[in-house]
Amino acid sequence: MTHRTQPTLLRVGAGMLLTVAAFFFVMASAATSHDIRPGIGVSEIRWLSDYLPALEGTPGDTEIYVLRGEKPGGAFLLLGGTHANEIAGVMAATLFVERGTVTQGTVYVIPHANNSAASYNSGVYNAGTPDWIELTTRAGEVRQFRYGDRRTNPSDQEADPEVFIHEQSGLEFDGGEARNLNRNYPGKADGTLTQQMCYALFELAEREKINVLIDMHESSITGRLANTLVSHPRAVDIAAFSILDLEIEGLALKQEVSSGEFFGLSHKEFGDRTHVLPFLIESANPGQEKSISNPDVVNDPRSPLSDRVYLQLRTIQAILTNHALLEGSSTAIAFEFPFGLGELLGADLGAFLR
Amino acid sequence: MNRRIAVWTAFILLLGSLSLVTTAQESEDAASPLLFEQPVLVTSIGQSAGAAQARVVAIRAGIEATYSQRATLEELEGIKTLIIVLGASSKGLGAAGVDIDGEIAWANELLAKVNELGILVIAMHIEGGARRGPSSDLINSTFAPLAATIIVKGSQPDVEWTADESADGNADGLFTTIATENDIPILYIDTTLGAVDVLIELFGMTPAEG
Ligand SMILES: [Zn+2]
Repeated sequence: MTHRTQPTLLRVGAGMLLTVAAFFFVMASAATSHDIRPGIGVSEIRWLSDYLPALEGTPGDTEIYVLRGEKPGGAFLLLGGTHANEIAGVMAATLFVERGTVTQGTVYVIPHANNSAASYNSGVYNAGTPDWIELTTRAGEVRQFRYGDRRTNPSDQEADPEVFIHEQSGLEFDGGEARNLNRNYPGKADGTLTQQMCYALFELAEREKINVLIDMHESSITGRLANTLVSHPRAVDIAAFSILDLEIEGLALKQEVSSGEFFGLSHKEFGDRTHVLPFLIESANPGQEKSISNPDVVNDPRSPLSDRVYLQLRTIQAILTNHALLEGSSTAIAFEFPFGLGELLGADLGAFLR
Repeated sequence: MNRRIAVWTAFILLLGSLSLVTTAQESEDAASPLLFEQPVLVTSIGQSAGAAQARVVAIRAGIEATYSQRATLEELEGIKTLIIVLGASSKGLGAAGVDIDGEIAWANELLAKVNELGILVIAMHIEGGARRGPSSDLINSTFAPLAATIIVKGSQPDVEWTADESADGNADGLFTTIATENDIPILYIDTTLGAVDVLIELFGMTPAEG
């Protein structure tokens, strides 16, 4: 799946040697196209720029996979790759697109919410992390997936300010957070690339009447946030019910609720400003553990990728089940896979991909 | 709200009939705990999300429970039992705009009123090791002794803890010590939903009737 022309390329193009331009072209397209093979559940592929035309052709544009169920119901937006180094979310979204089917409602899956961040790995967050991961399918094919960065590629956005001020709240962050998708909501139509991505996601939520949003993240394995389900206060019941359901199965998640200090974050801003019920799931990524040099982000037995993808998908399923029970069947959303999610535990993730 | 209760009442009936709920393990000291009365108010001391879970547990036990993350004195009116969920969350405290001292001062005021009104208190600790830091323990040690019954998700003396290590809120026996020193019945659970059965028993609910 090739991506559209990059504006960085356009800027670079004139006056440069053809070979250099060609080199950049190769780099740019490699950075932003992904090996995702839509399965039978996908009804339509859209672009984020459909919701903000200014994003068209920029490194911030990204594919949106739409999966429609036969039974009418609610609308659900699933975000992977808000932080492109948090690959369990990317891979859970990819697996959803490749193997998932929706039985009720409509699901919008964005595997690379910040596609610019998926174009590089600065190594800032953990020097030993790879640029790519490799997974082997059941047919024996080796597929490659990007291990990206936490933030928008600096070459895709104006220089960071000294201090990043979240415009709507006045809250101050470190300048680099101007490139953090999850600090820029609700975004700005004519703002920075990161703000535009946030704005477009808000537009999507509004136009498609999204009922539930789940933003998939990861933290270090010993971090306070590892294995946590965060929700907006309006969704605290659904989160609590879900956590108790998962606990019976031996899946222990901590619960947090978004609060005043979370300005710019998805679960706070969508919750405060729209009718969406927003959640954020954190699985535990060895690649984010500073004490591990050269981490094995796929197979580390302490937290293998397949288990993390299971945690994400099983938690999503629990949230949607309880959303249906608590909010009523008219906005219910349901999906299924041709295998039991539990089969992912301790398994080779590649075997489940197409 | 009514629909939610109805849904969960049905769910409880189902659970009850399938006997899926993890059974709570009572300590020998608490063979016949007090019978508590409804209506119930669930609140948090320390502003963690555990109170929301306790409310879910109460709903699943079929108990008439309202939930107020940081209860006011007015909300105590007509209440027979107060469930306090113990454990400090720095984020939660930040959201409430208080520090740990302010939280303890508020809770002291609340429990003084509770005492004056003759409301019984159940203390719950259900968020495991995540709520066993210095701030949390200040809350745990200050308020668990004021309860008529303590429910803790954690290991009991001389019984091996088989669930996730991080889920053990009593690994060092803090709550066992508090219960022993203050002569308070203590009930141990190994999953948060295990508290459903405990509450059914404490409130004399008949599972079959929800
Ligand atoms: Zn993240």
